[in-house]
Amino acid sequence: MSTILKIFVFPAAMLIMCLGVLTILGGHITPGGGFQGGAMIAGAFIFCAVVYGLKENTFHFSHNFMAAMESAGALIYVGLGLAGLIFSGFYLYNLGVDLYSIVPTFIKNIFDYPDPIHAGIIPYLNIVVGLKVMVGLSAVVIAFMQFNHEDENNDADGESDGK
Amino acid sequence: MLYLGPTLFGFLLGFILGSRIKNNPESEMHFPYSSYIVVIIAALYMAWQLGPFPYYVDSPLASGFVACIIGIFAGKIVFGRQPTKT
Repeated sequence: MSTILKIFVFPAAMLIMCLGVLTILGGHITPGGGFQGGAMIAGAFIFCAVVYGLKENTFHFSHNFMAAMESAGALIYVGLGLAGLIFSGFYLYNLGVDLYSIVPTFIKNIFDYPDPIHAGIIPYLNIVVGLKVMVGLSAVVIAFMQFNHEDENNDADGESDGK
Repeated sequence: MLYLGPTLFGFLLGFILGSRIKNNPESEMHFPYSSYIVVIIAALYMAWQLGPFPYYVDSPLASGFVACIIGIFAGKIVFGRQPTKT
């Protein structure tokens, strides 16, 4: 890959990741949300992976990191759903908003998102979905690049054996 | 007025991403700390152009964006440094 791309991509990826995070954080009041923001962050990572290759990539998404993020995203999502089920009787009930006034005030305050909209658990769901999508899309590309690398190695071995 | 939600969670997500930045010393590309100053300037300009998105009434900079870039650098400084050779 050209040197110009290698100089440009890492700083650009950081800024694209910030835009992705902004998309996640505004998901409850503007177009966007967890999936879109997570896809933007994964896009920035993929940008780096394609230009630098997996070995020299500046963003190291290790197996343990991806497993931790994926698991944390899923568990927090389910946890928020179960919290709704426990305190209100409805799975994924928006405890921070409490439209039906069926949960105590202190529970409502715990799950409130501190911004002027007070959207309850929706921003938290966006954040965990964003984490899951970021890791999921990145993992797909990492897997494809590793398969490609293995194929190239096998081809090279086959050619050397043929000689 | 700065809102706690986007600032806190922007920093948190940025910190997670910044902790994964590890420049390979064997790579031909090196990004010294001076290059990060250029990124900060570009990020502040972008945040200024974004304006008070998405709340439209808070600070003139996009607070989530600024918090995220600060989080990326904090994560890079805390977890992303190369081990020093002794």
